[in-house]
Amino acid sequence: MAIVDTGQLRLHVQRMGPRDGRTPTATVVLVHGLLTDSLASYYFTIGPPFAAAGLDVVMYDLRGHGRSGRPASGYTLDYSIDDLEALLDTLAVTGPVHLVGNSYGGTIAFGYAARHPERAASVSLIESQPATPTWSETMDGVLQQVTHQLAFNEDVALAWIADHRSHNTARLAKSAARLVRETTLAQDIPAGRVLTEDQIRAVTCPVLGVYGGDSELALLTPWLEKLLPDCRTVLVPGHEHSVLVEAAGAVGGHVLELIRGSTAAAVR
Amino acid sequence: MTTHPTAADEATVLADIAGMLARLLEEEYDLDDVEIGMTTTFNRDLELESIDLVTLAGLLEETYGRRVNFAEFLAGMEFDEIIELTVGRLVEYVVQSLKSAEAG
Repeated sequence: MAIVDTGQLRLHVQRMGPRDGRTPTATVVLVHGLLTDSLASYYFTIGPPFAAAGLDVVMYDLRGHGRSGRPASGYTLDYSIDDLEALLDTLAVTGPVHLVGNSYGGTIAFGYAARHPERAASVSLIESQPATPTWSETMDGVLQQVTHQLAFNEDVALAWIADHRSHNTARLAKSAARLVRETTLAQDIPAGRVLTEDQIRAVTCPVLGVYGGDSELALLTPWLEKLLPDCRTVLVPGHEHSVLVEAAGAVGGHVLELIRGSTAAAVR
Repeated sequence: MTTHPTAADEATVLADIAGMLARLLEEEYDLDDVEIGMTTTFNRDLELESIDLVTLAGLLEETYGRRVNFAEFLAGMEFDEIIELTVGRLVEYVVQSLKSAEAG
């Protein structure tokens, strides 16, 4: 297990590259989502094909998640952007990188690109959006629900999930409940700073939005395309919020196409 | 090149993998008496989370080197197949990978 100490926190990192010894054409950083997620969602989906396609693939567990450190507090979006920044500095990845984020991971990736436009070659938002006041309100609602239903009525909630969803979902919910109980994450995220439309517009690198065709977030696509200077969105029909793990081939294909396109454009 | 009977290969690999899982369960969950056989499932029986499978991928690489690529094996599967994955299926994959590395 690779642990990288950024000086602030110990982060669990996994890196994959082309196995035939080729020099990678670019670095792509994959950022996972909140609560039930970890770098495993990439490690067993788009990570291996991206490495085989010649990319240097960096995956890491967010603070509080997977095998990374779990401080009791410090879970605003800005802390997570600081972690990403510190991680890339520690790994000496200083050139522009392709950022890919699933759900909350995309909000972190976009926040990083807004903070350091010169360090972002492209941003792929999978079921995700930049941090706006509306996003913050939605997160507050979701996190309050998790806090009340799971953290304090856990047994009832878990039994319901096991009956109505699956054993696996119930187990994931159990570790999410632990994270919410042990940290200030649920209070911190809605309290964090959001971006203004001008700050969002300042992200000039190519941005791709990939959404499940049946996801509520698919409604964001006209707004994103209008606001961002270089943005394209695609819908994957028949999927909702879990489109990354359920349709990894399709999602990975769209992201690779963007990365290849913008790498070729940079070389020209 | 030495050849071993397939059954012995499977038994050896099962013992290797059972050892790795025992280490993982002890280190992460403080469990030290879990029985592991070919039909044991990672998800329901061992209650492993997907991040545990990333750790297992590292342990497999420590033992078998680059001949076995667990990430690629799982990346080729549907989500439901991963949920249903048994130790036996992994053992078969490892035996097969080691054989093709030997032949190749």
